[in-house]
Amino acid sequence: SSWPPQTVPLRGSHWQTSLLAIRASLPVRAQPKKKKKVDVKREQAQKDRMKKKIKKLEKAAPEMIPIEDFITPLKYSDSNRVRSLAPQSFEETERRVLLLKKWCLFKQKQDKAEKKAIQTLVEAQQEALKELRLESEELYQAAIKRDEGLFPFERDGPNYTPPLSGYDPPEGKCVDITKVYTQ
Amino acid sequence: TATAPRPWRLFGAMCLLRLPRITQPLEKEEEEMTALMEQIELEKSHYSDHEIRKLEEEEQLRRRKESMYDDEAPGKTVIMAQDLEDKWEQKFLQFEAAPRITDADKNNIRTSLDRRLDSNLMLLVKQKIGNQELWLLPQVEWQPGETLRSTAERAMATFLGDRIQAKILGNAPYGIYKYKFPRSIRTEGNVGAKVFFFKAFLQSSDLSQAELKEDYLWVTKDELGDYLKLEYLKKVNRFLLD
Repeated sequence: SSWPPQTVPLRGSHWQTSLLAIRASLPVRAQPKKKKKVDVKREQAQKDRMKKKIKKLEKAAPEMIPIEDFITPLKYSDSNRVRSLAPQSFEETERRVLLLKKWCLFKQKQDKAEKKAIQTLVEAQQEALKELRLESEELYQAAIKRDEGLFPFERDGPNYTPPLSGYDPPEGKCVDITKVYTQ
Repeated sequence: TATAPRPWRLFGAMCLLRLPRITQPLEKEEEEMTALMEQIELEKSHYSDHEIRKLEEEEQLRRRKESMYDDEAPGKTVIMAQDLEDKWEQKFLQFEAAPRITDADKNNIRTSLDRRLDSNLMLLVKQKIGNQELWLLPQVEWQPGETLRSTAERAMATFLGDRIQAKILGNAPYGIYKYKFPRSIRTEGNVGAKVFFFKAFLQSSDLSQAELKEDYLWVTKDELGDYLKLEYLKKVNRFLLD
């Protein structure tokens, strides 16, 4: 014959020794209360020290990013690298000076021609707008409105030779090795 | 008032430009100057790694020839800098770039867009004005309710179809050509016509879908004189930079 199963009364927590008795003692942690304050103080002091260090670092001026183009690597200042050339003859220097003067004149003429062309362009447009205004004010106002779709304007410049039809460029991968500095 | 009769009829014309695809050839002074600049750059430079290697190898060869004995095993093949240069030269010669002067240039096919790749090409169409057939920049008459820019766009679409891709440079006209009708048809309310020119850059490179019904030509600025009338040409030349 089996025992009638006893329903054992369950206890709420292991501090409650019997169900009917009230809590006899307060639940106590292993550490005494004093050490809590000291811990908090120590942690607070540590945080303050860290914040002071961070402030000092921030106050220091940021390190300049070096411009790599302006720093010549030392291996290029060797004396064996200097080119050995024959000294220039008098005719050569004369030729160079005269060529530079011709170039100066050429560029001046080119610049003047460009400026004149732009001037005529602007004048022609002003004339057209004047005539338009005489015709109709409404069309004139529409014409002098800003064209929103014009900018940004992108265009690929001309190359030396036109593109080859059916050209198969060689395969390869481009790996970017530029050094990126952060302040 | 809006319904007042206009004595001048308005037209919107489009100057469609095909921008150059290759660089223009250098002038004589420019070529001389580039040569001089290259020379000066070479003189002011130091030796590069490749050049130092080449010099050292030449020294070694010279010394070996003078001393007349091979201290290195003859079976060993060393790649000299000179060999590398020869190899690069060979590889470069194997590549054939597209010619700068195309077939259309040689045969002077003025209706093709592949001609004169180094300058701007403009579209000219043959239109009937009055009772004359003239070569003009494509134009159509302005209709009330549209801006002049849309008139010019309509002109372009009439001659080249809807799917043409062009970037119009702004809302304002670039030039104007004013002319009075001949006395036989001139009246009080119909004195003459004003043609406003707009400029656009052609974006799409192939016009195979374009349905060009009339006669058309793509010409450069200096060839315009062969087709346009003098007064018209004068006004058009003012807003063309070339």
